[in-house]
Amino acid sequence: MDEFQSGEEIVFVVDDINTIVKDAVETTIGNNNYQQSRIHQWTSSVVETSLNQLSKLGKPFKYIVTCIILQKNGAGLHTASSCFWDSTMDGSCIVRWENKTTLCVVNVFGLAV
Amino acid sequence: MSDLAKEKAARLLKKRASVSSLGSHEVKAKETAGRTKDSLSTVSYMDEPGHHDDNLRPAVQMENTYQMGPYRRFPVITVNDILKDVLASYLQEEKYEADLCRQMTKTISEVIKGRVKELMVPRYKIIVLISIGQLGDQNVRMGSRCLWDSSNDTFSSHTFKNSSLFAVANVYAVYFE
Repeated sequence: MDEFQSGEEIVFVVDDINTIVKDAVETTIGNNNYQQSRIHQWTSSVVETSLNQLSKLGKPFKYIVTCIILQKNGAGLHTASSCFWDSTMDGSCIVRWENKTTLCVVNVFGLAV
Repeated sequence: MSDLAKEKAARLLKKRASVSSLGSHEVKAKETAGRTKDSLSTVSYMDEPGHHDDNLRPAVQMENTYQMGPYRRFPVITVNDILKDVLASYLQEEKYEADLCRQMTKTISEVIKGRVKELMVPRYKIIVLISIGQLGDQNVRMGSRCLWDSSNDTFSSHTFKNSSLFAVANVYAVYFE
């Protein structure tokens, strides 16, 4: 554990995470319309791709990635989260992405080890 | 040490851009595996994507506890019951309305966090995630994956449905080594 703490700042960086997640969603869903048959595969793929990229960052963090994929038909959705953690080192990031027929909300929580 | 923490938390609050923020400060002395720690808890609503503090501070060196794992595991079943309870009591008779549900998600997540904190499971960090949606003809899919230590960390989840809305509550518990 000493190697991680000497000199390196362990802080959750929102911008990197933002980019990683946006890319993951773009490559998975892209311009496709909402398709019931592929939705299961899309959620898994978005989440797994994000997680893989996040672990490649090599930071001493535990990650929780949640993805909600929604068909756009006028219904509303509200999401809220409440966290009990160390606010100096831990953080969260929410990415909203949409195309013509689909809405995707990805939540990333990073907790320092 | 606690004064320093309070100052930093106050600076954090001032710099954070949030649309509406409600500051309720409580200083609580908490037992954490034998050590007492003063914690400052604030409630603020980040309605816009959070702007994280740009002050990078050096990592705090913690002393070794020589503890290999948690003394007390996270009680999943108790938390399941808490979720069932809270969702049913808050949403049983409600109809979906944009403003009401926006407020409701925030309230419910705070309430659940409070009740889980009362269980006082030491060294666990808690994340509560609530989603309330309108029942239309749409399809919704929610998925989550976690990169953690599966022997110590766990989660609990519950879904609630009535005639006009549905609600999903997720609680993640992560052990702090």
